[in-house]
Amino acid sequence: MNARILVVDDDAALSEMIGIVLTAEGYEPVFCYDGATAVDTFRAVRPDLLLLDLMLPGKDGIQVCREIRAISDVPVVMLTAKSDTVDVVRGLEAGADDYVPKPFKPAELVARVKARLRPVERAASAELRIGDVSIDVTGHSVRRGDQEINLTPLEFDLLTALARAPHQVFSREMLLRDVWGYQHAADTRLVNVHVQRLRSKIELDPENPEIVVTVRGVGYKAGSSAR
Amino acid sequence: MTAPDAAASPRRRGFARRLARRLRLGRVLLLRRWRQSLQFRAIAVSLTLTALAFFVTGSFLSHQIADRLFNDRLQQVLAGATADFEDVQASFDASDASARDELQALVASTLGSLATDRADTERRWILVPMDYTSGQTLIPAQSQSPWMTSSTVPPELQERLEEQDGVFWQPASVRMAEDGDTVPVIVVGTVVELSQNSPYGLYLVYDFSDPQRTLDAMHAVLLLSVVALLLLVGAIVWYVTREVVRPVSTTARVAEQLAEGDLGVRMPVGGTHEVARLARSFNRMADSLQEQITQLEQLSSMQQTFVSDVSHELRTPLTTVRMAAEVLFNAREDFDPVNRRSAELLYHQVDRFDSLLADLLEISRFDAGAARLEVATVELFSIIHDVVEAAAPLAASSGSVVRVRSHLSRCTVQGDHRRIERILRNLVVNALEHGEGRPVDVLVAQSETAAAVAVRDHGIGMTEEEAAQVFNRFWRADPARARTTGGTGLGLAIATEDTRLHGGRLEVWGAPGEGACFLLTLPRTRARRLGPDDPSPLPLPPDDLAYPETAETTPTGSLSLMAAPGLVEPAGTPADAPQAEPVHDEEARP
Repeated sequence: MNARILVVDDDAALSEMIGIVLTAEGYEPVFCYDGATAVDTFRAVRPDLLLLDLMLPGKDGIQVCREIRAISDVPVVMLTAKSDTVDVVRGLEAGADDYVPKPFKPAELVARVKARLRPVERAASAELRIGDVSIDVTGHSVRRGDQEINLTPLEFDLLTALARAPHQVFSREMLLRDVWGYQHAADTRLVNVHVQRLRSKIELDPENPEIVVTVRGVGYKAGSSAR
Repeated sequence: MTAPDAAASPRRRGFARRLARRLRLGRVLLLRRWRQSLQFRAIAVSLTLTALAFFVTGSFLSHQIADRLFNDRLQQVLAGATADFEDVQASFDASDASARDELQALVASTLGSLATDRADTERRWILVPMDYTSGQTLIPAQSQSPWMTSSTVPPELQERLEEQDGVFWQPASVRMAEDGDTVPVIVVGTVVELSQNSPYGLYLVYDFSDPQRTLDAMHAVLLLSVVALLLLVGAIVWYVTREVVRPVSTTARVAEQLAEGDLGVRMPVGGTHEVARLARSFNRMADSLQEQITQLEQLSSMQQTFVSDVSHELRTPLTTVRMAAEVLFNAREDFDPVNRRSAELLYHQVDRFDSLLADLLEISRFDAGAARLEVATVELFSIIHDVVEAAAPLAASSGSVVRVRSHLSRCTVQGDHRRIERILRNLVVNALEHGEGRPVDVLVAQSETAAAVAVRDHGIGMTEEEAAQVFNRFWRADPARARTTGGTGLGLAIATEDTRLHGGRLEVWGAPGEGACFLLTLPRTRARRLGPDDPSPLPLPPDDLAYPETAETTPTGSLSLMAAPGLVEPAGTPADAPQAEPVHDEEARP
């Protein structure tokens, strides 16, 4: 079954071009040309991944992203024309997993899409723990006690990456490679924003994180009480 | 004796020094006040001048009053004394006493009446025989009070009496009471004949302490009133100047606030006098300033919005074109030769268009002042290795070798990783483009405050005029020369802006036929900007052979690292020691 990708962009030519490239890679693209109908289309189409332009008629891309995040954990990759700090960070904070700055090459786009759609690894250890949080890797679920914590696939991958090597400190670059699939240096803000989003979901007190701990000047690691 | 002295004198000296220091401090403070406060200056000047005027008028007044007081009194005294002298003489003349006892009785009775005058002024008489030689001194010198003798009378007065007839006077200072203080007196004297040819000097000592007391009291009153007047003048001047200076200092304060960027401040306006006019024109100036700055800000934010809109509007179609070009390019093997070449040209030129657009946007971001540094501690060698590695294929194709040379193996600065990398990439690519296939050297050195990277090629080089223009936008050394890599012509301009943003310096040297060298000097900490006179850790052009090689590109287009010299040869090879650790050398010296 081919993965279905919803492309939300008001530029018909670009959408069509993206469609050509995605089809050539074996994906099934679906198009939506304005922000106002994006969420409805999303519900109707049930895509496996969303490519979302930030500047949209009808409704702002960031708003669309926020609304979709509220109803779904589907990976969202932003298409940004502005590489300005503010827009990228706002998009990531709204829940986007990754972004591709325009003008991009087809290979870059495909690499981002593939990274987000890669099949979930079946790990040797099916059950992982950080602190009082337990991760069921095969079942793709995270719980604290009886309470299920709802994470997006990306947040789940991030948490699992940290939990698999409980004593190792991960630099942002390592996480970009392991979780996002970047081969070369990329935007470390991706890591910062998503660690914050993850913390807001799994930490009891996000101000004093105990599950995902910052190692100053280096990166992050799983909380010391792991396992 | 000496020990306590020795102990005390430093203490005294210490006290004197403290006093001197305090005085000096006071003087400095006053001087500063004088320079900074118009009001202080006005008060100081007016007080000084008023005090001077009071002093002059006061002394004139005092002099006049003293004169008048004294003269009146003197006339009185002289008139009384003259009359009394005549009475005494008449009484002596009327007597026919000649025996010593009779004369003594006559003198006692006549002079006894002189004890008080008509005005009840206290006076004493003294009788001094004048002719000591004739032997006719019938009675000795005598006086009303036993402590007054002939020596009480000023000698000048006695001499005058001997020379001339008449009544004479002289001021002196004499005790009037037996155990009292000396008081100012007037001694009036004349010659009286007791009996035939026996002249005596008869002196009356008048107490003049009364007018002196009056004068003293008057002086006190005068001084008091002068002090009161000075205080009053000070207060008046303080008030008046405050009224004038306060609006001025308000203006100054408002102007300072305005200068600090608070464009909304205005001066309070009241009345129609000069200060109100000043306030009104000041406010008008502030209004127009605010208007212009707001306009400029609007322009600038419009510019930024425009830049970002252009970025979006251009990039969307460019993305489509680029993707299409790449799809065509990837399928070029299936095309006939003409279409294949077209697809290749399209692909490469779209790439170039893309980088040109990116550079243009970057430049306009600099121009709009929207460029911001993202500062972190960055390691120059890792950036250089990345840059050189990325440029290695270009180096291989141009036939050049890029060599990294340094005594160091690590060099950190606080800066924006992306921008420093872009500067160095621009310099290295530029050097490879103009290197004529000869080696390109990248040299690194650092000092306490600065780090320097020099990129040296040995290619065609450039003249001084060319070197002066090399940072200009779209400037090309030789328009006729074919371009191999198709740079945008904005690379060095962007590098200059990036360097300026870091507070660093980008300099160039070139000589035709010898090559060119670009020297980037960055401050090592963010807090410090590099001045135009701050020395760079590297000379321009540097001597490449003085620095050992630490990395170089291979002909296959990759980078090979060599062990840093410091790691191979532990510390202190004679050639390296002075350069490697100059600071320690300095410290070892006694």
